[in-house]
Amino acid sequence: MTPQRNTIFEESAEILANVHHPGDQFVMRVKAPKTAATAEPGQFVHLQVSDERPMRRPISIMLTDPEKGTVDLLVKAIGEGTRLLRERKVGETMPILGPIGRPFDLSDHSKRYVLIGGGVGIPPMIFCAMHLIDKASTVVFAGSEVEFPFALKPSTALLPGVGGNTILGITSLEERGITSRLASNAGFYGCYEGHVPDLARDYLLALNEEERSRCVLLSCGPHPMLHAVARVGRELGLPTYLSLEEHMACAIGGCAGCVVKTVEEGEEKYRRVCVDGPVFEASLLPEFA
Amino acid sequence: MPKSDSPVPDLSVPFAGLTLQSPIVLLSGCVGFGEEYTRVEGFSNKDVGAVILKGTTLEPRMGNAPHRVYETPSGMLNAIGLQNPGTRYVIDNILPNLPHSETQFWANANGTSLEEYAEIAAIFDDSPVTAIEINISCPNVKEGGVHFGNDPVMAGKVVEAMRPMTKKPLITKLSPNNADIAETARHCIEAGTDGLSVINTLVGMAVDIESRKPIIGNISGGLSGPAIKPVALWKIHQTRAVAAKHNIPILGQGGITSGKDAIEFAITGSDAIGVGTGLFYDPLLCGKILEELRDYLSKHNMESYQELVGTLQS
Ligand SMILES: Cc1cc2nc3c(=O)[nH]c(=O)nc-3n(C[C@H](O)[C@H](O)[C@H](O)COP(=O)(O)OP(=O)(O)OC[C@H]3O[C@@H](n4cnc5c(N)ncnc54)[C@H](O)[C@@H]3O)c2cc1C
Ligand SMILES: Cc1cc2nc3c(=O)[nH]c(=O)nc-3n(C[C@H](O)[C@H](O)[C@H](O)COP(=O)(O)O)c2cc1C
Ligand code: FES
Repeated sequence: MTPQRNTIFEESAEILANVHHPGDQFVMRVKAPKTAATAEPGQFVHLQVSDERPMRRPISIMLTDPEKGTVDLLVKAIGEGTRLLRERKVGETMPILGPIGRPFDLSDHSKRYVLIGGGVGIPPMIFCAMHLIDKASTVVFAGSEVEFPFALKPSTALLPGVGGNTILGITSLEERGITSRLASNAGFYGCYEGHVPDLARDYLLALNEEERSRCVLLSCGPHPMLHAVARVGRELGLPTYLSLEEHMACAIGGCAGCVVKTVEEGEEKYRRVCVDGPVFEASLLPEFA
Repeated sequence: MPKSDSPVPDLSVPFAGLTLQSPIVLLSGCVGFGEEYTRVEGFSNKDVGAVILKGTTLEPRMGNAPHRVYETPSGMLNAIGLQNPGTRYVIDNILPNLPHSETQFWANANGTSLEEYAEIAAIFDDSPVTAIEINISCPNVKEGGVHFGNDPVMAGKVVEAMRPMTKKPLITKLSPNNADIAETARHCIEAGTDGLSVINTLVGMAVDIESRKPIIGNISGGLSGPAIKPVALWKIHQTRAVAAKHNIPILGQGGITSGKDAIEFAITGSDAIGVGTGLFYDPLLCGKILEELRDYLSKHNMESYQELVGTLQS
């Protein structure tokens, strides 16, 4: 397929905020008006953390404000590049390429989108939820083993299958009428004690058959979590879409460095996570099928 | 001082019988099958003299298992393993859709035997590519590739096998991993190559200290980027000693990430300059290199890029 011209923008983005959270996490707001104006949920940016590390790092877009031209990112410092990024100061600029990748397909209004995010895989789920028109039927399940880097509040909506102690949700979502619940093994107050895919499964099992059959699972997070989500999707026969990670060099389809194995019409292929993904249907991925 | 009325320097260059609209060539394996970078606003095919397509083999290849790329100090390792849909597919399904009026597209041919190299040349001869780069220096496949490039006599034989199969210019890509690059260049020139690409990647590896496993799926990978720039300049210098005698042009490459780098490569003897990894740092690099080149040439009262090539002082 011929690539679409002029759909990715290289911007010198000013850092407007860099708020540190426990567990080496930080939320960064940058000014990147062209990315903000066109980004869709599931897409990411490829940014240069500092002059010292010119190879870029891919980071998902958590939220945009097209009017103010801002893009929010949630990052966990896990290595040298992300640690350099965490130390960047408000007012500094960095090169950002975006928005990149095939977004989640949220176009079917007859569907109920169930969003399952883990750790720094939560951002695309937040972007999806904010984007969906039918916010009332959308549910976000988020899991973390370190403190959630968001304001939390008790959710006002009841969810079938979800126990009475699992009350907390993400404030920014709840305020927009999107129901959310949290899971952790760290014993946090108001959270489901366990893994987030199990929480989502409890909910799905409590729906009546007609409601459940309209569900689509969208997920982003660590590999073991994606495996569990894919299992839930298979068990309940629900379409499941996963957002994947792989090392990247160019992030625009040039180097074939970022591949994942797919099986399409019986044929094995390596697809590029950057432009053929990062979102893939789980059934196409032998690792998750 | 630049002359105030000095004309804009001419950046077009002759190369192996072709005229390139710009001395910058986008390198094989870094720009997919030609069109990927046009996704980026501000990128223009018109800024480059040629785009070299991903390494192509006779039959399709899936490529290596991930991880395929990894950042290393001042560069990166890659072991893609020549993922490509095969020569016939490229000709039937990719080349017809490329914007040949905006720039030239070159093939990058990879065989596992002399016969295969010859067949690929014959197939590309009847296609809109304007040149064929011969990759005898890919370090990431088990058969062929660098095994031809490491032996000067074998390298010459590859060129000899392809030469009668095509009228298109042949540009042989030399490996920095062999002992005597000038000797390899000589054999390739005698066998009829029209140009030389210098250099391909150096072989290297990286280790994960937690799992104690190699990070690259293929174990070893090709090192590119600024880390290899000094090696590239030295290999170009050595190759030029042979190539200049026969009027064979050099496409210099290896770690160019700025106009200053490009100027160093030109001075050392690059008739054209290749950019690969530099695009990963900055997808809009080509426009910036051209601007720096124009400024430099004007400042030094030169009328063209060509005037700068090989002006290394002793
Ligand atoms: C599409 C996509 C979206 C992502 N979104 C987020 C996000 O929103 N928040 C977040 O914190 N992280 C995200 N990641 C992961 C993030 O890119 C890596 O954590 C980061 O590149 C690590 O760099 P480092 O130098 O700190 O780590 P190191 O381990 O030192 O990195 C060494 C090299 O490996 C690469 N690398 C290591 N781990 C990963 C990984 N998981 N994915 C891709 N490349 C890796 C690095 O880019 C670098 O080139 C995303 C990855 C992808 C592919
Ligand atoms: C990801 C990647 C893939 C490559 N694939 C090929 C290839 O298919 N054929 C080839 O001749 N060279 C290939 N190369 C080598 C480049 O064309 C180039 O010679 C080398 O990277 C040095 O230039 P650079 O430092 O500007 O990248 C590849 C390089 C990279 C980084
Ligand atoms: S990172 Fe280069 S193709 Fe995806």
